[in-house]
Amino acid sequence: MKPFRYHRIKTLQEASHLTQEPGAVILAGGTNLIDMMRLEIMNPAAVVDIQSLPLNQIETLPSGGFRIGSLVRNSDLAFHPSIQKEYPVLSQAILSGASPQIRNQATVGGNLMQRTRCTYFRDGISPCSKRNPGTGCSAEHGYHRSHAVLGISDSCSATHPSDMCVALAALDAQIVLEGKKEKRTVPITEFYLLPQNTPWKETALEPAEIITAVDLPELPEGTRTCYLKVRDRSSYEFALVSAAVVLEFNQNQIQKARIALGGIAVKPWRVPEAEKLLHHSTPSKKLFQTCAETALKGAKPKKDNEFKVELAKRVILHALSLASKTKKE
Amino acid sequence: MKIVGRNLLRKEGMKKVSGKAQYIDDFSFPGMIYGRTIRSSIPCGEVAAIEFKFDKKGFTTLDYRDIPGKNVVALIEDDQPCLVEKKVQHQEEPILLLAHPDREKLLQAEVKISYKQETPIFDFEKSPKVFKKILIEKGDLQVGFAESDLILEGEYRTGHQEHLYIETNGVIAIPENGGITIYGSMQCPYYVHKALKVLLNLPDEKVRVIHVETGGAFGGKEEYPSMIACHAALLAVKSGKPVKMIYDRAEDMAATTKRHPGIIRHKTGVRKNGELTAVEIDFLLDGGAYATLSAVVLSRGAIHAAGPYFCENIQITARVVMTNTPPNGAFRGFGAPQTQFAMESQMDRMAEALSLDPVKIREKNVLKKGLTTATGQVMEDDCSALTVLQEAVKRSDYYRKVRTYKGTNKGIGLSLVFHGSGFTGSGEVYLASKAALELTKNGARILVSSTEIGQGTRTMLAQIVAETMGIHYEQVEVQEADTNLVPNSGPTVASRTCMIIGKLLQRCAEEMREKLGKKSPKEYLKKYGPLVITKQYEKPPEIEWDDEHYQGAAYGTYGYECSIAEIEVNPIIYGIRVNRVTTAVDVGKAIHPILAKGQIEGGMVQGLGYALLEQVEMKDGKMTNSQLTNYIIPTTCDTPILDVVLLEKSYRHGPFGAKGLAELPLDGAAPAVVNALRILGHDIRELPAAPERVLESLLSRSNIDQRALSIGR
Repeated sequence: MKPFRYHRIKTLQEASHLTQEPGAVILAGGTNLIDMMRLEIMNPAAVVDIQSLPLNQIETLPSGGFRIGSLVRNSDLAFHPSIQKEYPVLSQAILSGASPQIRNQATVGGNLMQRTRCTYFRDGISPCSKRNPGTGCSAEHGYHRSHAVLGISDSCSATHPSDMCVALAALDAQIVLEGKKEKRTVPITEFYLLPQNTPWKETALEPAEIITAVDLPELPEGTRTCYLKVRDRSSYEFALVSAAVVLEFNQNQIQKARIALGGIAVKPWRVPEAEKLLHHSTPSKKLFQTCAETALKGAKPKKDNEFKVELAKRVILHALSLASKTKKE
Repeated sequence: MKIVGRNLLRKEGMKKVSGKAQYIDDFSFPGMIYGRTIRSSIPCGEVAAIEFKFDKKGFTTLDYRDIPGKNVVALIEDDQPCLVEKKVQHQEEPILLLAHPDREKLLQAEVKISYKQETPIFDFEKSPKVFKKILIEKGDLQVGFAESDLILEGEYRTGHQEHLYIETNGVIAIPENGGITIYGSMQCPYYVHKALKVLLNLPDEKVRVIHVETGGAFGGKEEYPSMIACHAALLAVKSGKPVKMIYDRAEDMAATTKRHPGIIRHKTGVRKNGELTAVEIDFLLDGGAYATLSAVVLSRGAIHAAGPYFCENIQITARVVMTNTPPNGAFRGFGAPQTQFAMESQMDRMAEALSLDPVKIREKNVLKKGLTTATGQVMEDDCSALTVLQEAVKRSDYYRKVRTYKGTNKGIGLSLVFHGSGFTGSGEVYLASKAALELTKNGARILVSSTEIGQGTRTMLAQIVAETMGIHYEQVEVQEADTNLVPNSGPTVASRTCMIIGKLLQRCAEEMREKLGKKSPKEYLKKYGPLVITKQYEKPPEIEWDDEHYQGAAYGTYGYECSIAEIEVNPIIYGIRVNRVTTAVDVGKAIHPILAKGQIEGGMVQGLGYALLEQVEMKDGKMTNSQLTNYIIPTTCDTPILDVVLLEKSYRHGPFGAKGLAELPLDGAAPAVVNALRILGHDIRELPAAPERVLESLLSRSNIDQRALSIGR
């Protein structure tokens, strides 16, 4: 680990001011940042510890829905009675990732900001434009079983590792950013940027901005959800493919559908074309199959990760089928 | 028996559970500095220039020119240099060594090495350089094939496997008394001792190697500790200070040895009734850049290639070749997991082709007393292939489950394997191992270089001694393996410690008991002074081995194991869940049943990782997933119910009848799982059986879509 300056701050203004410095990063739960610093993948000049900020509340919003403070621990969010009741897909997603110890320590904001598990990014040596801009992508001609098939570019195909964010994407979550003159909210799908030829630019977060909360819109009565994750082993493992589905039902008709995919895309991945097929429809296996096919239309697999395309279709099909059978309490 | 066969407290158990046990990184010495290895970043070529991009003040730096003796890590062939002189043969090959009192400064020091690159060899099927070739011949293949009703061919492939001991490699080297002392995590102190003598050009007495508590090894600390000890020793000699070298996980995974990848081709002749008439096997291993232990891995793999079966006509050709990858080395099973995975898959494919029951085809062919192995070794009373097979079938309720699982997504598969105890061929004769027992005021002290690496060496040996001498277990102490204090008992490998060293100690204990007569140890010491009894390995006369023709008794005896795996395949997401493994194992005698079962269970889970999960990803000859987040091993959540049955077919030359057992579960796990997949229609011939391989097989079947929505996770 390289030497760095450490700031423990008491106010948002302080934090905002300090993070304007080049090379400053924010420390919350630390489960990912400390790892990255130990590996010397991230070598921040300054670490701004925001753990004492009052951002650990889960509140209802006047417009309906919930506001989740960015310092809420992953476990506290997953086990919060209202979240379990209103957004079971979010609880399921969080609990399918990491280990209890990590979930107890990791925060919502930290989860949003976690870095990829790409082996080339993490080894600190291989060419990697995400780590060292302009050096290229080692997965391009190397082993790439764990890499993405959606949203990729020549310069990067690393997956976004989070489970929580996949559920948030399917829930149309809004990320609340503060610190600049104007507080703003950004839809989660816009919060993450495509790698294109600037894979080191991962989010819409600007200097001096801090994630303070995540807003969850209210789900209509009769919404059914499901999070389905496939991984190599039963615990403590990132997704090969995962799907979060949110189906708004009226009687036996799907009114609206939202599907987000994890493990196969460069960011939590929504599939609007596929979702459209389900709007105002009657659920059927055939429809779900068409939907799954459509969702993967843009996939660009290579030799080692080709299997994930078929796997993803099956996961979508199965998640839709499971969700349409579960009734919201 | 009062002590043998009982589950007594481990000798070092309290220390381990209370955190008092000292592992290498817990040690510190006055003036100690830290060492670091600068490694190659190309797979093949020559070093052109070296540029130090840091202020060398305060650093100890050295290269091959600082080696006082021979630049080699002495083992068998002595072909592996300790430090690169010019020619680089693999990625992560050691070139330079640095040391500094501040670990952070040491890690920041940058060295730039430029190379003249050459074309590397990665494809081991095309490698022109052969390290070792073996031919085993029995009977006449042509006659065998002519007598057969069916000839079945098959090609099987296995990949690398990383040991992933929890404690990475580490040593401390101290320059003292005009020589060198090494403390370290290791299996074989005398291997390290030998390597240092050659490297530093020192006589026996100037080199001292002390084993400290070791956090797992699995073969990964058989030969590699010699390398890291050589490096630390060079730095210690040059700096005149104690030097600590501990690898981090990434370095340990990328630079140290792995299990050899293999390709095994079978051509088998079989009669309609399942009787084998001809077994032809071609076995190829990827040795990596240097010979190291490859020749003996090949030898064990080849000897086990035809499995625990009898056939009149056998031909096994085997070779291990060079590639520009880090040397592959010892790993629990030592070549036999590769070949027995192939043989056991082939057995089930033959059963399938002939519409025979997998149990019946094995019963028809198993080795029994009086029958001969591929090398012509005649089986004796303790051959238990049939016993373990029948016991596992009964215990697992195999036939009922075959019926009830039919047409579901559940499958049941079995494997029958054997594993020779002790060194191969004349290995034990060459080793000429010694063990000693010293009389103490309270009882006796065991003096051996066999190491405790988590498997229970100290406990098990103390039980053998206490039982034989008729004293309490607590009265037996075990000296830590220190080459200044213990004789050379050979390496702690090859399922040999209990059977070979245990027997030597039993002989020591018998003599000590006689000498003591009715006297207490205290009385004896007072009257006659100190007493140390040393015994050396003596070959039982009936064990005859011909190294040139690979004929005769390859091992003193064999352990046998039948494993039955019950699995469930999720046809939607290709996930394989192993629900239960029933294993019947003949260990001769379980000296400590809980430790014995623990070895089988641990090995079985390691074998399940080999079967289903573990993939070493190589790019340009370098392991790219050298991180725990990207190299997947099973967790407790992936561990099935393990039902281990210990059977005891006594071996007459083993202590209380004991044989070796440590490596058996690595041989049997993968084929049992793959054969269960085969019963479900998935013909997997390459390990690991990862989701993508099952997918290929799934997609080639038509009934998937109907089932897709009916089975949940």
